[in-house]
Amino acid sequence: MANGNTLKDAEIMKKVAGYDSRALEQLYDRYAPILYTLVLKIVTDKQTAEEVLSDVFVIIWKNIELFDFKTNNVYTWLIMLARNKAIDILNRKAGKVTEPYTTAYEKEKIIPKLSQEIEAAELDDVLSKRENIESAMGSLTDAQRYVLELSYFGGLDEAEIASKLNIPAMTVKSKLQVAVGNLMKKLSEVK
Amino acid sequence: MDNKKALELIKLEAIGCLNKKDAASLLKMKETEKDFPWKILAEYQTLITLLPITLTLNYPDAELKDKTATKLYQVRNEIKAKIDAKKEKEKPVVEKKSVVGEVVLQGDSGGVIIEDEEISLQEDESDQVEISVPEKTVVESRKPSVDKKDSTTKIQPDRDQVEKIAREYFNTYFEKEIKELKNEVKKNRLLSFILFAIAIVLIVVLFVFL
Repeated sequence: MANGNTLKDAEIMKKVAGYDSRALEQLYDRYAPILYTLVLKIVTDKQTAEEVLSDVFVIIWKNIELFDFKTNNVYTWLIMLARNKAIDILNRKAGKVTEPYTTAYEKEKIIPKLSQEIEAAELDDVLSKRENIESAMGSLTDAQRYVLELSYFGGLDEAEIASKLNIPAMTVKSKLQVAVGNLMKKLSEVK
Repeated sequence: MDNKKALELIKLEAIGCLNKKDAASLLKMKETEKDFPWKILAEYQTLITLLPITLTLNYPDAELKDKTATKLYQVRNEIKAKIDAKKEKEKPVVEKKSVVGEVVLQGDSGGVIIEDEEISLQEDESDQVEISVPEKTVVESRKPSVDKKDSTTKIQPDRDQVEKIAREYFNTYFEKEIKELKNEVKKNRLLSFILFAIAIVLIVVLFVFL
């Protein structure tokens, strides 16, 4: 039988669904660096990033039944979950979100809703594609990369990006769509 | 459906930059359009989550693991309650009818209903609760279920279970009454005995004096 280090992400998630705390620890060991990196990039301070990261694992533990074991896309689910939580904290600190943080809110706004047709993805598979992803990102124009980063890592909406760059919101929208479209195209080419 | 519009909104949703109006339009499309491009949404969701891979990795402090463990420990009661609720949900529902003694086991449509994908719960002596989730556990659909098949299976209640529930029902509703009746009978017996004894004494007295 596979041990903790060789278990696939989906197998670990299945154990987590059985409230196996050792499995959650394995998931933490595996995912904490990438999730922490993402969260730190968003919230920018170490202490908040650590708070968010531990909250993310509590959310996983409490809501594991909302993970789709049919598609088994652990990587995308966890990355989206961590980003949603970090952006929410950022927006609350900035006073942009005043809605109370309830269980219903968490289910609606923090826990990701992945397409049912998404394919399984594991951290190791994704890490092995790092060069391809960097290459695809490098092929974007500076402006495209900038709006993408402002939106994804900065958590800014189109109006905020428009105000920051002093351009119309419609332009921001189209720049984002072109950037995401190009990224997809480039990534398909380098695959 | 306007595929171009859908694709534009999918890109913005994937990047997490949908305004309220666009979010509502996309949600409506997801709920109403049979040919909504779920596959494309999946591809963009996957694509965007690749972005963090390009960042230089940072590692959290080792102590954070302990802090996280402490937070997890604090929600243990919530988790336990969740498991208990699941257990309770899986138990057959007992419906009490006005006809005395009649016990009916009933689910939503007349039988005990269990989910196709069973979750078995075990609780060991150390109070550590484990749930084993089989391969085909299905999480609630995020896609509108237009042609969702009935995923429930009806089973007949077994005889032991019926007897057990009938016994419980009987104990709950009749035990007290029976106890009172028994006491009443005891009292009456005692009274009859006393009256009988007095009658005998009177007869003996009458016989002696007459």
